[in-house]
Amino acid sequence: MKKNRLVLALGLILIALMTVGAQKPIEISFWSLFTGGDGEFFDAMVKAFNESQNEIVMKTDTVKFTNYYTKLTAALSAKNAPDVVVMHQDRLVNYVPNGVLMQLDEYVQKANIDLSTFSPAPLNSCKFNGKLYAIPLDVHPLVMYYNKDLMAKAGVTKVPETLAELISAAKAIQDKTGAIGIAADNTTATYKAYTLTRLFMSLLMEQNVTILDASNKRANFNNAAGVKAYQALSDMVNKDKLTPKQLDYDSSVSSFKLGKAGFHFNGVWMVGGFESQSGLNFGVVQFPALLGKNAGWTGSHTLAVPVQKTTDPDRIMAVMKFIDWMTQHGEMWAKAGHIPTRTTVYSKPEFKNLPHRAEYADAVKNTFAPPATHKWPELYDAISDSLEESIALNKDAKAALDQLEKKVNDILK
Amino acid sequence: MHLAGHTKRDIILFSAPYLLVYLVFLAFPVVYGIYLSFFDWNILSGKAFVGLRNFVQAFSDEKFKSSFFHTLQFVGLSTPILIVTGFLMALISVRPTKLGKAAESIFFLPYMFSTTVVGTLWAWLLQKNFGLVNQLLQAIGLKGVGWLTDPNVAMLSIVWATLWWTAGFNMILFSAGMKQIPDEIYESARLDGAGKFVTLTRITIPLLKDTTLLVVILQIIASFKVFGQVYVMTGGGPYGTTRVLVQYVYETGFNYFKLGYASAMSMVLFVVILVISAVQLLASKDDVQ
Amino acid sequence: MKKILLNMVVAVLIALWLVPLLWLIITSLKMENDVVTDHLTLFSAAPTFKNYIKALTTTPIKQWLLNSFFVASVTTVLTLFLDSTMAFVLSRMRFRGRKALYLFVLAGMMAPFESMIIQLYLEFNAFKLLNTLAAVIIPRLALPVGVFILTQFFNGIPTALEEAAYIDGASRFKVFTSIILPLGKSAMFAVAILSFIGSWNDFLWPLIAISNSAKYTVTVGIANFQGTHGTEYALIMAGAVIASIPQILIFLFFRKNIVQGIAMTGIKG
Repeated sequence: MKKNRLVLALGLILIALMTVGAQKPIEISFWSLFTGGDGEFFDAMVKAFNESQNEIVMKTDTVKFTNYYTKLTAALSAKNAPDVVVMHQDRLVNYVPNGVLMQLDEYVQKANIDLSTFSPAPLNSCKFNGKLYAIPLDVHPLVMYYNKDLMAKAGVTKVPETLAELISAAKAIQDKTGAIGIAADNTTATYKAYTLTRLFMSLLMEQNVTILDASNKRANFNNAAGVKAYQALSDMVNKDKLTPKQLDYDSSVSSFKLGKAGFHFNGVWMVGGFESQSGLNFGVVQFPALLGKNAGWTGSHTLAVPVQKTTDPDRIMAVMKFIDWMTQHGEMWAKAGHIPTRTTVYSKPEFKNLPHRAEYADAVKNTFAPPATHKWPELYDAISDSLEESIALNKDAKAALDQLEKKVNDILK
Repeated sequence: MHLAGHTKRDIILFSAPYLLVYLVFLAFPVVYGIYLSFFDWNILSGKAFVGLRNFVQAFSDEKFKSSFFHTLQFVGLSTPILIVTGFLMALISVRPTKLGKAAESIFFLPYMFSTTVVGTLWAWLLQKNFGLVNQLLQAIGLKGVGWLTDPNVAMLSIVWATLWWTAGFNMILFSAGMKQIPDEIYESARLDGAGKFVTLTRITIPLLKDTTLLVVILQIIASFKVFGQVYVMTGGGPYGTTRVLVQYVYETGFNYFKLGYASAMSMVLFVVILVISAVQLLASKDDVQ
Repeated sequence: MKKILLNMVVAVLIALWLVPLLWLIITSLKMENDVVTDHLTLFSAAPTFKNYIKALTTTPIKQWLLNSFFVASVTTVLTLFLDSTMAFVLSRMRFRGRKALYLFVLAGMMAPFESMIIQLYLEFNAFKLLNTLAAVIIPRLALPVGVFILTQFFNGIPTALEEAAYIDGASRFKVFTSIILPLGKSAMFAVAILSFIGSWNDFLWPLIAISNSAKYTVTVGIANFQGTHGTEYALIMAGAVIASIPQILIFLFFRKNIVQGIAMTGIKG
């Protein structure tokens, strides 16, 4: 009897040791803001990651977009944020100076993540004072969609590359097919008319002008470049009437989707939605060089690591493995339309076989990040409102830019 | 009523649960809001005492001023329409006929819906290209209107949706008041040969004075607090022309994280509503005994 | 002539209220392609439940409904408990400062919830309750208007029964539960309805307090619905109908009580 018990006890100890030896997978937590199509592709990626190895289990929790940063900020202030979070690149500046995000250089090195395989522009926009605070998962720039059938009907044979070409092509489409020439939202409804700000910033950058000065303390657009940029936007609506007045985001998207618009300016995130529309024969290119060189506004989803009450290097290393895997498998994320940030992805057949993606992948080279000021969310709203107003009221460039400059400088004051 | 013992103990036992919740989640937030409004505070950084600067800033902030103005605009537009319509509805629905009953249900049903359902439905009805209203206008040869995208019309559209949504509430208050008017008064008026219109202006309306005051006050307060319809239907657009106070507080607090400033602005709303409520309380002082 | 004119006003008013309701349902039964057309089609050739099926299967709307049910029910039960005990004290106990206490509670009616969102947010963040359904429930519990309605109603209940009960040695708790509550049933019901509807329809606070889409109430969920499915109007309308079915059922069953509840806030007791 006694002997049996001893054997049993030994057996139990052995089993216990074995389970320890087999190492329980590290469970790491994660917040993302992806909904709709983005959400589905992202969840599929996380699932694939979990299945690809057995050391790390990633759990996700999706948060509605408009509330995401509220929740995240509260959690970061209480230091109970998850192990890794998605953050838009333009929001990093709101958090980095407050010391709530981990500096990643050391861990990147330890995890052997090869930073040279990243596209430099998006990677550099995650650096503050030379230190890396996030890893870019994608860029989602402003692009130009065009309807091939409408172009053919109107006898337009070439995708426009200059402002003059764009205007004449849009005019031809509008005159010959009755469709909208250029669908780009200029009015707030369910969504603010952010497209106006994105276009304005891109048109400035095409002339090598940033929207704020180098110190990010003052407006930098009340000048010749600003006038050209504003005039181009206003003329599309007011002079050439290629974009209808009072066009909101939903109407802009649906008109292109239904084949009732020749050109459409929007982010790459609509690619998937347009592909699922039967009968829509469209193409997509990076934002054309309308006023100079190629330059396009871009958003970028990055992965950042919140500072915890106590730093656990093992968990951070697990997070780094996750980030490495996610960025290396950008072709899965590209299904949602976003452009992967690792150049190694572009040569993968899985990526090359995706329709359209290669057509605009070049955009990644010509993207630029919004100004790094923690007041950007407020500026973004104010600039969009002000441009919307000026274009709706057909203000001249001087009045529009004076007003815009005052609003921007008041906020930056 | 001193028949049961332990009066003091029972008072405490019975009122403690309510008072505890009341103090922690209603009284305290009010005091805390006043306190916060004197600070500059973004949730990640430390608090800095700034005295009255937030209030000074508010009154030089174009966005605050315009949001306040739009709120006043909404109050000014919605209050009379909602009250007159509610009154008309009450006249229809108090009639003891089948139609009266049915009308009461139809008028009141929208009030049951949530603000987001109402906002979503009206955003669709008023949608510029495919919405019912514009399609009807086009069917009779008129041009469609940018109900939600034209700055001259957008606020009216929000008022329209609100009218559809909550006029039924005012109707109930009015018809409750009407039912309290004794039948004998109408009876004797009829014997005196008074027509329907005279009865309405000489009897119904004057006797509904108290009810009307209540409806007006409740409506003004409700209109000052407008948020959901705007949030869903226009998002404050076109170019901020329908942005209302609560929405700006929300954006300032939760999008820009200026918590002290947002608190200061919500104190302004608080004071406005306090004053209006005080008017009501004074007017109906005798009833709170 | 005058009568015809009057009837026309009535007819127009009713039509203006009825048509949006009908359009809500009609749109929800159409195919998406029949909705976004240039020409007005009143009815689609073949009504379809596709949108309803899609809403129920591809969105968390069922979960949102459950959340709303949970939130509204718990809020109602707890509100009834808190408000009725408080009203009992204010109506039946005599003590110094009673009037002041009543005024203090009534003063709560003047504090608009909309002006407290920042403070409540910080408070719930400190309690670590953000993003829980508890956060949605708690701030609505101390409903001053409920105390007002119940106190006024209790004041109108004759005291003879209670006096007899006290003489028989009943405790205050016993009197409260076996005399006041049963006699105050109609007022309790009115408060319950107001609390339930108010909680169900609450938008601003849940929008702030909840960030995980699985924990939305259906009122917040529908706003999200519009954001996510921007141009799928038929689907959005189907979602709006689904979200409103409980409200419509409550209306059908409790119309009288609802009307009475609203009237009670207005009529002086």
